[in-house]
Amino acid sequence: MYLYLPVALTSINILIPVGLGLAVGLLSGLFGVGGGFLMTPLLIMFGIPSTVAAATDSNQIVAASTSGTYAHWRIGNVDFKMGLILLAGGFIGGLFGVEAIKVLRATGNADFVIKITYVLMLGVVGIYMFFESLASMKKAKTEEVKAEKESGLGRFLKSLPLQTHFEKSGVTHSALIPFIFGGFVGVLAAIMGVGGGFLMVPVMVYILRMPMHVVVGTSLFQILFNCIEVTFLQAYTNHNVDFILAVLLLVGSTIGAQVGAVFGRKLKGEQLKIILAVIVLVVTVKIVFDLTLSPSMLLSQGGGH
Amino acid sequence: MRQFRVQRAIVLVRERLNTIGLIMGVILSLAAAQDASAELTAKANHDRVKVGFFYHGSSVSVRGVSDPGTDLIVKIASPEQHQMLRKKGKIGGVLWMNVGSITLEQAPAAYFLGSTKKIGEILSGDEMDRNAIGYEALAKRAKLDPAADEQEKAKWFGEFVKYKESSHLYSAEAGKVTVVEKDGKQEYYILMDWPYQAAPEKYTVTVYAAKDGKVIETAEANVLVEQVGIVKSFADMAKNKAALYGLISILAALAAGFGVGMIFRKGGGAH
Repeated sequence: MYLYLPVALTSINILIPVGLGLAVGLLSGLFGVGGGFLMTPLLIMFGIPSTVAAATDSNQIVAASTSGTYAHWRIGNVDFKMGLILLAGGFIGGLFGVEAIKVLRATGNADFVIKITYVLMLGVVGIYMFFESLASMKKAKTEEVKAEKESGLGRFLKSLPLQTHFEKSGVTHSALIPFIFGGFVGVLAAIMGVGGGFLMVPVMVYILRMPMHVVVGTSLFQILFNCIEVTFLQAYTNHNVDFILAVLLLVGSTIGAQVGAVFGRKLKGEQLKIILAVIVLVVTVKIVFDLTLSPSMLLSQGGGH
Repeated sequence: MRQFRVQRAIVLVRERLNTIGLIMGVILSLAAAQDASAELTAKANHDRVKVGFFYHGSSVSVRGVSDPGTDLIVKIASPEQHQMLRKKGKIGGVLWMNVGSITLEQAPAAYFLGSTKKIGEILSGDEMDRNAIGYEALAKRAKLDPAADEQEKAKWFGEFVKYKESSHLYSAEAGKVTVVEKDGKQEYYILMDWPYQAAPEKYTVTVYAAKDGKVIETAEANVLVEQVGIVKSFADMAKNKAALYGLISILAALAAGFGVGMIFRKGGGAH
């Protein structure tokens, strides 16, 4: 059955957005990412204008991450204290990121910087996560994981003020650490125009040393608030949110997020990390191909930003 | 099942409109018969295309009468408007990415042509240019920026047409005009698929009757594509009550997320 989308100004078979929602929602519940890096290009592929695709996806992620946060909260996987500090940092970082974009646009090579940042970030995160989780899977087989030696960086982090114990995550950090790294992700996410879940997850795993399952729940919690803000701004300033499309997407994604949260409990942290790493790498390769192969068309829909 | 019913309903409406169109056509032709100098008539059967919740494109037919022995060209076009498209180019000889944009003036957003034979066999190049018939004529008429020279303009206009055709908004062969001789007159008819991608707008149908490479008569009609019902409500709200629209979108998403969460818990989830 086809429905007409009043803002995207196009007609779509309802099975497409519902199916996409289900698939991306599943990933969201499993890995704690919003999935914008998958959903937006897929929607564009099915004829949705790019500006509407990105805006509507953020509306849909509000539903998926609510569903996912709720599911993870029930099984005790959301560290609200950590989430709120990351969120505060992300919010401030986002403001800087938006300014950075303005400066880049003024110099005229914004698209180049954005694309390259995006590919490098995806590539580095994907490769690092892949090899790290591969190594820790091997190690787990042969011996018990030894207590890690404290590095110089570790000692430095411990010497910072505002040391706080995060009970849910079982870690102690200076509150400045999640705030600063949250801000760092916020800057990059604003520059790349993505939610940044794929960056926030590795920050929590490798820098904040949180257990993978708590990372997923906490990431979803902070994505939820980010996407509420983005949805409102997109609807208010750009008029790009298509409510009908969002509803079709969220029918699938809310259910997918629940299934993902349940399914994720059956997988080990390392397994989750390595699958996410593979997905991130596949997306990286796809973007690299898009950048290097001759496009079939040299013009695309303009407008927006 | 439902879709089938809806489609059937559309067909019925269309048939009724066809009949009305036929009657109108006859009336117009009767009126025209009295005035020998303005014999060409045009009537679009479906002059109001209603874009509702289940809209998935439509069809538009045009019929009328003309002088016997004339060839006919039917053009349906949106008003000319300012258009902006993003341009891809190579950076450093390796990487394809967006490199700025081009703007077009004096080009329609949607453009469909149908004719009795190949237009090149009906009209001379000058006549095509004068009446904005065919892509070449459109290219000459349009203003494209930036374009350093004619060659570059031709290249980017070609890309523009390619983009439009892939979006189903331009077609130089949208259908064949058929003609029947009757009582010393010629009745013509064309049925075009109307793409759902064509935005709400008032489209102008222009029918050209041609002989010996020249346009000898033209007639006009309109096709109004308009949003109705729930589609119109949402589109208006997104534009005019943006803050409320944004809040409703967010609240609906939150409610859906919690709702589904509750359902899963009741359904005997992981605990």
